[in-house]
Amino acid sequence: MPDIDCAKKAIRDINQGIRKVGVKGGRVTLKNPHGMHNLGVGLVGKFDLLVDGSAGYYCGGLMDGASVTVKGNVGWGLAEGMMKGQVLVEGNAGNSAAASIRGGSVVVRGDAGARAGIAMKGGLLLVGGNAGMMAGFLMQKGVIIICGDAGASVASSMYEGTVYVGGKADDLGSDTKVEKPSAVDARFLQETLAKHKIKAPKAFKKIVSARTLWNFKKTEFALWKDVL
Amino acid sequence: MCGIAGVIATTPKGRKELGLNLFKMLEALECRGPDSAGVAMYHAGKKGEICASVMLPEHGDDALEASKIKKALGKAIKKSRTTGKIMHLELVAKGSATEISAKIEAASPGCEVLSLGDSLEIVKQTGSPAQLDKEYGLRQMTGSHAIGHTRLSTESRIDISHSQPFWAHGLLDMASVHNGHITNYHRLRRIYEQQGVRFYTENDSELLGIYLSDQLNQGLTLRQAMEKSIKELDGSFCYLVATKDQMGYVKDSFCLKPLVVGKGEGFIAVATEEIALREAFPKLEIASEPDGKSIQLWTVNA
Repeated sequence: MPDIDCAKKAIRDINQGIRKVGVKGGRVTLKNPHGMHNLGVGLVGKFDLLVDGSAGYYCGGLMDGASVTVKGNVGWGLAEGMMKGQVLVEGNAGNSAAASIRGGSVVVRGDAGARAGIAMKGGLLLVGGNAGMMAGFLMQKGVIIICGDAGASVASSMYEGTVYVGGKADDLGSDTKVEKPSAVDARFLQETLAKHKIKAPKAFKKIVSARTLWNFKKTEFALWKDVL
Repeated sequence: MCGIAGVIATTPKGRKELGLNLFKMLEALECRGPDSAGVAMYHAGKKGEICASVMLPEHGDDALEASKIKKALGKAIKKSRTTGKIMHLELVAKGSATEISAKIEAASPGCEVLSLGDSLEIVKQTGSPAQLDKEYGLRQMTGSHAIGHTRLSTESRIDISHSQPFWAHGLLDMASVHNGHITNYHRLRRIYEQQGVRFYTENDSELLGIYLSDQLNQGLTLRQAMEKSIKELDGSFCYLVATKDQMGYVKDSFCLKPLVVGKGEGFIAVATEEIALREAFPKLEIASEPDGKSIQLWTVNA
């Protein structure tokens, strides 16, 4: 397993080193990452990347098929714009984890910051702990599972997709409604959590779009107030 | 973009290495703010004495201006030294913070009292944290807690006066560092100016000290004032505030500026990015991003 020591190396050299190995479909370990930004951004192809520590912003962003494991925490924009692949973070994530992903799965074992899964267009975001304010803001497709509590305005102005919250979700965002999870949903949740070895909470709330903002007359001022 | 950092050291070793650790954090945050760097250090001062950091006038003979200040204060000065553009004084002076700083500023027109307090010392300058260390020996500084700043100027000029941390003029020992912008700055500034408050700079971050000290004067505790600031200050911001025995952070209601809180044996540290915490504290145990609209205030046991 080739190692790359990140200490005193420029991010461009690190990412090119990863790519060289990645072309052959191997496994790369990054040593001493110390919270560096942009680690493993733009990875194309199927291979494994292990970040042996914490990563900074945009870790694993714009990926297409690779698998990334981070032993520590990550900063903002984890896996932003990912097409497919798997990302696992053992610690906590900063704001905007899994922003705009189109596919693949992002798992954060600890807590996630604000706007987790913002504008998601597919794929899965699983948060083992709590999520900050506005999780799933403007999401269009895909699934977000939050095992702990969700912060203020959860799933605000979502178009489509589903947000499951295991803990408190007291402050729902605009244009959302709570549904009872079906038997199919329950099996999906159980299987997904078991797969990632995350302890399931007692029950989940299922939050979906109420679709009142899909079509409305612009003269309905009350709705505008809600949107803004 | 700016970089902010704060440390509370709870062990004797940590207090000895406070300057070194803050330096490492600021170096890691230099890319976020290459224009200027500064720190506010807190260390137990001598009883009955007040420390003052004074920026000498921008265009002038430093030795001459320093002698004018010494002459005006006379026997009140117990110790004085000048490094670069900053004069450091240890005083036994009567009167309020406002009166003392007015006396210093009258003696040498164009000078500015950067800090005044029982245990606070601010040093700041344009340039990198490495330059700050070279000029003022940041790595050797000791103390119980400290906050620091690397600045990327967006709206006001780049000089010592506009650099951070800012002392809350008129209130002993309170300093703040800020990342972000306060969009109702001009409106609040007009209100405060009508009340006779003097603004030293055009930097919106200066408002924090003025706002918080105004709230304290109205009888609020620091925690209450911080909570109120989330509602009354507009924009995206994240700031640290420190006093003689407290340090804390405030995050705006949209959570638009980053801040990571880290803990480990012997320290509590906060910084804009985790990379700064890792550089200074390899044995970091917990690091997490607080949610928007949140505050935290720690008490420092000196």
